[in-house]
Amino acid sequence: MIASRPAIQFSGSLQLTFRELWSTYVTLGLFVVSTICWLFLTFAMNLDVVEGSVAALRIFGFESTPTDHIRDPETGEWMSQSMGLDKLVVGIQSFVFGASYFLGTLLGIFAAAPLTASLVTESRIGLLLSKPLSRHRFLAGHVLGVFATVLLLSTYLVLSVWLVLSLKTGIWVPSFLLAIPIITLMFGVMYSVVLLVVVITGSSGFALVTSYGLIFISFILAAQEQILTQLITPGKEIFLGLYYLLPNFIEAVPFAVQLVEGDPVQNWVPITSSIVFGAVAFFGAFQWFSRKDF
Amino acid sequence: MHDPVVQATSLGKQYSGGFRAKPIQALSDFSLTVHRGEVFGLLGPNGAGKTTFIKALLGVIRPTSGSATLLGQPIGTPASRFRVGYLPEQHRFPGYLTAVQALDLYARLSGHDAPSRKSESVRLLGRVGLAEWADTKVKKFSKGMMQRLGLAQALMGDPELVILDEPTDGVDPIGRREIRDLVTWLSQSGTTVFLNSHLLSEVEMVCTRAAILNDGKLVGQGSIAELTTAPAAYEAQGTPVDAGLPGLPDGVTHDGELPWATYRIHADSPEELTAMLGQLIKAGVTLRQVTSGKRTLEQAFVEIVADAEAAN
Repeated sequence: MIASRPAIQFSGSLQLTFRELWSTYVTLGLFVVSTICWLFLTFAMNLDVVEGSVAALRIFGFESTPTDHIRDPETGEWMSQSMGLDKLVVGIQSFVFGASYFLGTLLGIFAAAPLTASLVTESRIGLLLSKPLSRHRFLAGHVLGVFATVLLLSTYLVLSVWLVLSLKTGIWVPSFLLAIPIITLMFGVMYSVVLLVVVITGSSGFALVTSYGLIFISFILAAQEQILTQLITPGKEIFLGLYYLLPNFIEAVPFAVQLVEGDPVQNWVPITSSIVFGAVAFFGAFQWFSRKDF
Repeated sequence: MHDPVVQATSLGKQYSGGFRAKPIQALSDFSLTVHRGEVFGLLGPNGAGKTTFIKALLGVIRPTSGSATLLGQPIGTPASRFRVGYLPEQHRFPGYLTAVQALDLYARLSGHDAPSRKSESVRLLGRVGLAEWADTKVKKFSKGMMQRLGLAQALMGDPELVILDEPTDGVDPIGRREIRDLVTWLSQSGTTVFLNSHLLSEVEMVCTRAAILNDGKLVGQGSIAELTTAPAAYEAQGTPVDAGLPGLPDGVTHDGELPWATYRIHADSPEELTAMLGQLIKAGVTLRQVTSGKRTLEQAFVEIVADAEAAN
């Protein structure tokens, strides 16, 4: 089958992004860390399960007994008991999700920002734009390449951890797989900031500062319930405006954990407002890129 | 006349100067036509607007006024660039790619299919003298080798128009000669070449026509023969006369070597030239031939630019 010219061009843009990301070694680093993670769960962690509870957990041969602290329904006092196996599995999966959500996004942005900035430097962009493909298609190939890399890496980590834990314990929690689209989506939201800033300014440093700054601000936004009680008009309205306008990277965590653990979601605002923010930033970046003089 | 490959009509480009700064007019009312099969040189001092013009043609920047076509297609559209090869003045290929991989990548972005990419890469690396470096990573290349690779990239897909922005920049004398030979070979094979260079001797050697840009404006254009023809200057060959011969008209100097002396005549009009030649004949000179005076392209360039700046 002969591929059409637009398909070949698009594959060229994708290939360029994949190769660039691979050459930075951050991709390789994340792949190695993911591999170590599932190898650790496979070979270093051993479980003794008695009647559905973890009697003993051995890591590299060192034994410990995971316990749960629960309140006695009769006396009302706190007491310890062996942790349920399903709870341990969900706990490990939540830990893997949290770590990959934060580290994956921060490192992913750290790798992608200079990559995107190098693409728009004078010594590269002139030749790339002289090729007979539209600017939108070229940039779409680049963005899709970044997204695809993050999707592949998060799939590799989450799927391997899920398979290892499920096969070892016999407890299958399919909702953990939702971590894959959530990590990719929230990375995408933060990457939209990087793309917009790089396309406008050409500076990867400024793009990193802006996106990390927004993550920092999202810590403040996450405390909106406490902060709103302290504010008066118009501070309250301004804070609420920022809460709905800016990406809620931190507040999306409880949302994601509820989804991953299979619990009902209490608040959809953090994720929907983040998606809207990302979509607007991507739209702005594409528009700016298509009109900019390089 | 062959059909136009590049046609610009009153093209202009103004850059905003930023906050509270004056805007910069990089290109003003620039009209130019390059015909199929020509080797066309665009000359100008640094900052004259040469690269701006090329970037506008290739859609890298957007002109603020006027219009232009490439191979009959309006500039800025992907279709206008499909049969165009381009070597930018500054270019950097990803260092982690080998020469073959770099060519394959850029040909892929041009939409060429896999079999043609492979055969073309091998052929063109041989053509630019990089065959034995085909599988070497680009980061190990010298500036000259990088320039040759850039040329090979520009020739991928057998383009109808090749735009070369300072192609001999950073290349040693032997490499320059090879690039000149390559341009000549391209011209002989029917490819139109648009050469942007400040090395005037090179332009004089390889180009059929040239235009001179100064301060964003077209200040001269024509064939190399036309541009190197000195205005109001003529040379006549004839029998020698004594230097102090009475009756030798003003504005005529001569080298009195035997058997033929060369008389250099300055005349602002054909009538004045005829009158001066008549005086020479009256003085006893037997004329053999009269030709227009010649100057090097460098002299022409300096004079044309100086005249333009004096007129401003």
